[in-house]
Amino acid sequence: MAGLQDIRRRIRSVKNTQQVTKAMKMISAVKLRKAQERLVALRPYASKMMEVVRRVVGRIRGDAEIQPGPAAQTFLSPREEKRIRVMLVASDKGLCGGFNANVLKAANVFLAECSAEIVHLDVVGKRAAEWAKKHGLTPAGEYLNIPLTGFQRVVTEISEGAAAQYHADEIDALYVIYNYFNSPIAQTPTVFRVFPMEMDRSTEDREAIEIPHLLEPDPNSVLETLLPRFVETELLRNLLESSASEHGARMAAMDKASNNAGEMIGKLTLTMNKIRQASITNQIIEIVSGANA
Amino acid sequence: MSPMIKLEVVTPERPVFSAEVAEVQFPTASRGYYGILPGHTPLMTEVGDGLLYYVQDGQQHWITVFGGFAEVGPDRVTILARESETVAMIDLERAEASRQRALKLLKEALTEHDLAIAQAKLDASLIRLQAAGHPAGHGF
Repeated sequence: MAGLQDIRRRIRSVKNTQQVTKAMKMISAVKLRKAQERLVALRPYASKMMEVVRRVVGRIRGDAEIQPGPAAQTFLSPREEKRIRVMLVASDKGLCGGFNANVLKAANVFLAECSAEIVHLDVVGKRAAEWAKKHGLTPAGEYLNIPLTGFQRVVTEISEGAAAQYHADEIDALYVIYNYFNSPIAQTPTVFRVFPMEMDRSTEDREAIEIPHLLEPDPNSVLETLLPRFVETELLRNLLESSASEHGARMAAMDKASNNAGEMIGKLTLTMNKIRQASITNQIIEIVSGANA
Repeated sequence: MSPMIKLEVVTPERPVFSAEVAEVQFPTASRGYYGILPGHTPLMTEVGDGLLYYVQDGQQHWITVFGGFAEVGPDRVTILARESETVAMIDLERAEASRQRALKLLKEALTEHDLAIAQAKLDASLIRLQAAGHPAGHGF
């Protein structure tokens, strides 16, 4: 049986760990709130943007008189996906439960199933970079330790680069693999194709087909300015989703760790008291039997 | 009740405004204005910098908008603005300070590029001041 001293030492060390996990949980909660605020603010904009793009695209498609310009083609005519660009978003730090494992698993599945021969990879976060290295992939872009305020730069770089590559006929599609933020305690690893846009008839707005939109000055130039903003907005949203998910996941993981530490302290304290009790009982027995003798 | 338009203004930072209004007028990228009444034909266009104006309960109100897109339907106007604020959100002191700074920059500007940036800053501050009813904004 472990000695009283050993158990006391263990309790102290578990208490220290618990303090660390509690602090980490609190820090994550603050960071989660910041990321979540920005995400919640951006989501209505992003979904409106998507709606509007769908409408304009539906209009250009539905009208035979309009000749689709280069921007329209980017989003309308899917080519066979031989070469794709993928932005993989994970975290820089660990201790966040299944956050990284889940999204990297999704990346594995996606790469195994897709028909692309060439994959241009952009990794966001150290864990994604490590994953790429382990799989022998050389990322075209590496974005490590990006703060919330640096997201815009990443987004601009990737969206402009991808658009240029698409027009130069170097890639056929742009994908993002990230954790979708359902709630602070639930994330869904998601594979999202930014372009060509996924357009099925059922999601197209009926109204757009019935009453054609006037597009000022003309459909193609509207789309020309609209689409880059759409891609940027989507990428920014995806980064924010991932960031909020990460902090949520870490908060949940640290909460669990703190609880487990609490339980462990309880058990150890119980054992410690039993041992102490036993030794006191022993001493009493010794004294009593000594007095009797 | 007469037909109304659902006006929505959203920016990447936050949803700015959403309500039923009687009339909307917004600046376009080509320096003109679009006036929208209920039943307007569907329209998509780029939004410029300036003041959006709407009528609610017979009263005129202003919202600043800086770039973006507008989508108009028979009963709705959706503005996806790069930046936007209602009059209540405008920080008058900040706008005035920004105007002074821009004026100073404008005098010191050496290159065309600096000049353009200073001018854009001045315009933005004037739009905000005008929306907030500040006297400096009236020359705009």
